[in-house]
Amino acid sequence: MKNSVLFILILLLGFPINAQNYKFGKVSEEEVAQTEHPTHKEANAAVLYRKQEVFYELHKQTGLTLITQIHERIKIYNKEGFDWANKEIKVYKNSSTEEKVSSIKAYTYNLVDGKLQEEKLNRRDIFEEETSRYRKTTKFTMPAVTEGSVIELEYTIRSPFITSIDAVPLQDMIPIDKLEVSLKIPEFFGFKVHYNPRSPLIFPIEQSQGSFNYNYTQANRPRSLTGSTKFERKKIQYLLNEYSIEQEAIPPLKDENYVDYLKNYAAYLRLELQYTKYPDSPIENYSQSWEGVAKSIFDDSDLKKEIGITNYYEEDLDALLEGKKKEDKVDLIYNFVRDKIKWNDYVGFQAETGTRKAYKEGLGNTGDINLMLISMLRYAGFKANPVLVSTRSHGIPLYPTREGFNYVVAGLELPNGVVLLDATDQNAGLGELPKRARNWQGRLIREDGSSGWLALLPQVKSVNANRLDFQVQDDFSIHGRVLNSYYGLHAKAFRDKHGKTSKDNYVEILEKDKGNIVISNLEIHNREDKGENLRQTYEFNLENGIEVINGNIYLKPLMFAGLAENPFKENERNYPVIFDFPSVEKNTVNLMIPKGYEVSSIPEDFESILGEGAGQFIFKTSLAGNFLRIETIMDLNNIVYTSAEYEMLKEFFAQMVEKQTEAIVLTKV
Amino acid sequence: MRKILVALQLIFVSLATPLHAQDLPVNTFKPELLANANAILREEITEINILSIDKMLVKNRRMVTVLNEKGDQHVQAYTFHKDNIKILDQQARVYNSSGEEIQKFKKRHFEDRSYLSSSEMYGDSRISYLNYTPVGYPYTVVFEEEYETNSTVFRTSWIPLDTYNLSIEKARYIFKNPQAIPFRFEERNMYGLEVEREATATGLNYAISNVPAFTSEKQSPNLSQIQPRLLVALDEFSLVGVPGSGSNWKDFGKWQYEQLLEHDAQLPQETIEKIEKLTANAESDREKAKIIYQYVQDNTRYISVQLGIGGWVPMPAASVDELGYGDCKALTNYTRVLLESQNIPSYYTIVYGGDRKHLDPEFPSMQGNHVILNIPQEDQDIWLECTSQSIPFDFLGRFTDDRYVLKLTPEGGELVKTPAYDANQNLTRTEAEIRLNEKNFTADITRKKSGIAYDKIYGIASIKEKDQKEYYKEQWGYLGDFQIQKLSFINDRDSVKFQEKLEIEGKSFSRKAGNRLLLPVNFLRPTVYNLPRDEARTTPIEIARGESYFDTYRYYFPQGFEIESIPEKVELKNEFGSLFIQTSLIEAEDGPALEVERKLIINQGLWEPENYKAYYNFLNRINSYNNQKAVILKTTKT
Repeated sequence: MKNSVLFILILLLGFPINAQNYKFGKVSEEEVAQTEHPTHKEANAAVLYRKQEVFYELHKQTGLTLITQIHERIKIYNKEGFDWANKEIKVYKNSSTEEKVSSIKAYTYNLVDGKLQEEKLNRRDIFEEETSRYRKTTKFTMPAVTEGSVIELEYTIRSPFITSIDAVPLQDMIPIDKLEVSLKIPEFFGFKVHYNPRSPLIFPIEQSQGSFNYNYTQANRPRSLTGSTKFERKKIQYLLNEYSIEQEAIPPLKDENYVDYLKNYAAYLRLELQYTKYPDSPIENYSQSWEGVAKSIFDDSDLKKEIGITNYYEEDLDALLEGKKKEDKVDLIYNFVRDKIKWNDYVGFQAETGTRKAYKEGLGNTGDINLMLISMLRYAGFKANPVLVSTRSHGIPLYPTREGFNYVVAGLELPNGVVLLDATDQNAGLGELPKRARNWQGRLIREDGSSGWLALLPQVKSVNANRLDFQVQDDFSIHGRVLNSYYGLHAKAFRDKHGKTSKDNYVEILEKDKGNIVISNLEIHNREDKGENLRQTYEFNLENGIEVINGNIYLKPLMFAGLAENPFKENERNYPVIFDFPSVEKNTVNLMIPKGYEVSSIPEDFESILGEGAGQFIFKTSLAGNFLRIETIMDLNNIVYTSAEYEMLKEFFAQMVEKQTEAIVLTKV
Repeated sequence: MRKILVALQLIFVSLATPLHAQDLPVNTFKPELLANANAILREEITEINILSIDKMLVKNRRMVTVLNEKGDQHVQAYTFHKDNIKILDQQARVYNSSGEEIQKFKKRHFEDRSYLSSSEMYGDSRISYLNYTPVGYPYTVVFEEEYETNSTVFRTSWIPLDTYNLSIEKARYIFKNPQAIPFRFEERNMYGLEVEREATATGLNYAISNVPAFTSEKQSPNLSQIQPRLLVALDEFSLVGVPGSGSNWKDFGKWQYEQLLEHDAQLPQETIEKIEKLTANAESDREKAKIIYQYVQDNTRYISVQLGIGGWVPMPAASVDELGYGDCKALTNYTRVLLESQNIPSYYTIVYGGDRKHLDPEFPSMQGNHVILNIPQEDQDIWLECTSQSIPFDFLGRFTDDRYVLKLTPEGGELVKTPAYDANQNLTRTEAEIRLNEKNFTADITRKKSGIAYDKIYGIASIKEKDQKEYYKEQWGYLGDFQIQKLSFINDRDSVKFQEKLEIEGKSFSRKAGNRLLLPVNFLRPTVYNLPRDEARTTPIEIARGESYFDTYRYYFPQGFEIESIPEKVELKNEFGSLFIQTSLIEAEDGPALEVERKLIINQGLWEPENYKAYYNFLNRINSYNNQKAVILKTTKT
């Protein structure tokens, strides 16, 4: 008796009674009746079930095909979740072949008068669109969607690109209740499986081996002329590596402001091709090391060849450099390429147009432009090499692979180190990379094919120094002068933002948020001299800039130069805060005390340190005669502050804002 | 000054290459055409040839000199097409700054893509465009296109300047009507321009020269209200092969009613029964309509698919019933058919949705980009926006309020105006009790909004709590770091009123000044108007909708806080609006308090550009009064 109770208990544990049926079409009334997600009440929708199967098919005529089958069951809780009823399936294509979406089957389930009702997606409501040169999108929206609907869909993607398996998503913007992933890879391919290290979610993968069968019919010709041909069914068995994941209750990815690329933080599996081993062919190895990756790119992506072609520009370049001093030549060549060949917004380390054609047409991708730059620098006698880069949106590769890079810049070797050049950015100077290329590290490939790492993140702090001199007029308006100096990447950031703005519009931008102000005599020095420091001066008249109450004057120490609000408003943060570059901001304000007034109170000097050397803020005042000087320095050493440092960073900014808004009080003598 | 320099530079460029064979004369531009211009339409010749009621041939030759990157968009070397618009030819030539031809494109070099508007999921509109990346500025493109269509109801009018920051050197319009089909034409905003005119029964020949660029200025009317246009429409025409006629709104509307609307809609019996059951106990048509509208909102969503004639004709009501989605036409028609099933007549109504744009009341023709539904009532008509799942019954909001629209009735078209929401209706009423402590403050805030203020806020109730909190933190950033302890909303859709209730706690929103505190008496400030100084305002000032803000704030202080001074009373009134602020010390139930009464009213209206300075000053004064502060002396040391 005791035993049988135990037996029943075990049975119950092993087979939960309310087991959901995940077979296609077996949507339950309970699922449709559910009104909110049991654990994530705020979710507008949830993935009740998602199954992704990746496997290969082998046919005599077509060879290997990579197949991805998706089965999804999505619950929509409210109107805000309706977007989940619109589906876009994006696939790749190139000029010769493309991936194909097929076998789309989709239903919407609703409860109508307590009864489960299904509505089928019609074939004619499925649309296909050419999204870009390399992308195609299949679009559809589900019929009869209301609050509470469950939609279920299935589709297959057949891909001729057999050596690249897309990253398998393990997380979404909505909760996933149950996820099943299965990858079946025949022995022809060696893939290594990686998790996204930036996501804390890691699920166990079960690995096993099976067999991959190739069935075909062989025709056996008879020896004699009279006999008939015999057909024989044959089967070859290959080894199959299987990976599977089964996971429940996957939390949604949290959405936050100021995240570089949210999808960089989602859980996913990425598959790295290590080798191919086709029947009767030798093993071909793919990029086990970064050295190997760099070498293979250098050897077979025409980098060497494109850098080697010089005849198309020789004449022009000779004329440009004739009689010029060696130290001026780099500048001349760089400016020449940057201004002559326009970037067509396509990234890539290969010269897509071809350097010669790009030169002629004045248009090319990053490969065209920067390989040409390297070629010209070498032609002029400099030591210049390609540096492979992964852009910010491309992320940080998890393992050595050609796909880890998608960009190239030039590395110029000078006695005191390597200077990076990117001629695709109209506002960059020597040694300045655009934001997109300031990511991770770069791989410099030397002429002999050997390679090494190079830091791409700016190592030097860029300075922005502002000086503001002002005095209070008899009518309590303020008249003053401003000098803003921008160094390094601050100067580049200024050019990126305002380089194309007309002077009138720029004055309007400057006047914005400064109150009742009139700005005059604006001068900007070195606006066009890319790579040079930039300086801006102007005068202003400001009304209502100070407060006069009961004969006392109250004013903000930094006037409009200060930070009015803390940019960090969220209470907590899950992802790092990423700044563009390490920066120092200095403000110096000189105020002439108006006649008949004296200083009654000044904010106390203040200093705060962010973390251990991650940053510093200093606030200092000094009174000399009738001049009051206020100085502030904000020093941010890091580019990235982790979510653990967020609280600290927010507090650092809060103190800074408080100090900058504390009033100076002047009273009548 | 800089503009004149550009002009000189161009002269210099043209002088610098005198010996080079020029393909294109490099003109020197008049300074007034360079002002605010990113590109100049050097010459355009648009020729419209009406071969018959259902055949129109359009030839266009457009020469644009682009001065800078922002001007690239004005080249407009593209042709929209679909099944019934056939491109016969397209070509383009590109010239560099010295007028030499640098590239040439034939029809086969144009790229063809499907063209979807942002809200569209799928459609059959296509665009054939020149994919050219400029390699230097200035450059000039000469684009020629020729196409044929069986729709003569569109594309007959002439709008040479349909964008900002483009000036016109010369543009010509030739309308050929060899069969002398009756047509109408009217000029808009051409007064004071250099215009050549010639009109006969068989055609028009118009040209305008030297039109300076419009620049987009804050709070100015929609460009359609100020741009020069020549409206041209045939009295007998065809839409995708469907013939029609009409020279007044009545006839025109009748044609649309008859040809484009669904007349024998068949709804499933099941749906009709459901509606009958739902409305069985309703006492009035209004009540029934409200139930039906709610049913539509609960059972459909907006998805736009524009295919073939479907771009003009609503998808059948039965399909909407089955699929549960549709575009504005489909959902409006569906609602109409549901109402009809309960014998409530309603009218499909054509409108321009978005920034206020009217159907031109004086020029009956195919206009509009959206439809809404009108239910006639004895006193005040009911208006329904059928594409939203959340907007209240009989409330249009900013998308379609206060503008001329065309009702399609069996008797014909009827031009009417949609309801306007005035300053009294667009009210935000705020009450807050603020308790200051030594180190922090707490505040209980209640805000009630109606009219357009409702329209702007009601969406917040359906976003995530985290995002709701972030919204207030962004809006009230001037309060410093604060936490929202309690947050609740009441969305009263019946009376179109929205209430927000918040309890917040923060560190400090007053500024320290030695042993004093500067306390901003306007605890919450209405949307800060931030207009540029703009001394050369060219377009009229439009305040599209009036607004009022009535606020009461009460501040309570702890022991040891002494009020040194309070701001003086403010009374400000002019044609743009009024502001009243009064701060006083009162004996409230909870003890002595500082009470602030504030009334801000902004009037709806349209003013000539020369009033800009006065308006700017008015807003500046509001802003500075918004910053009024009381001074508090801390008598005890902490």
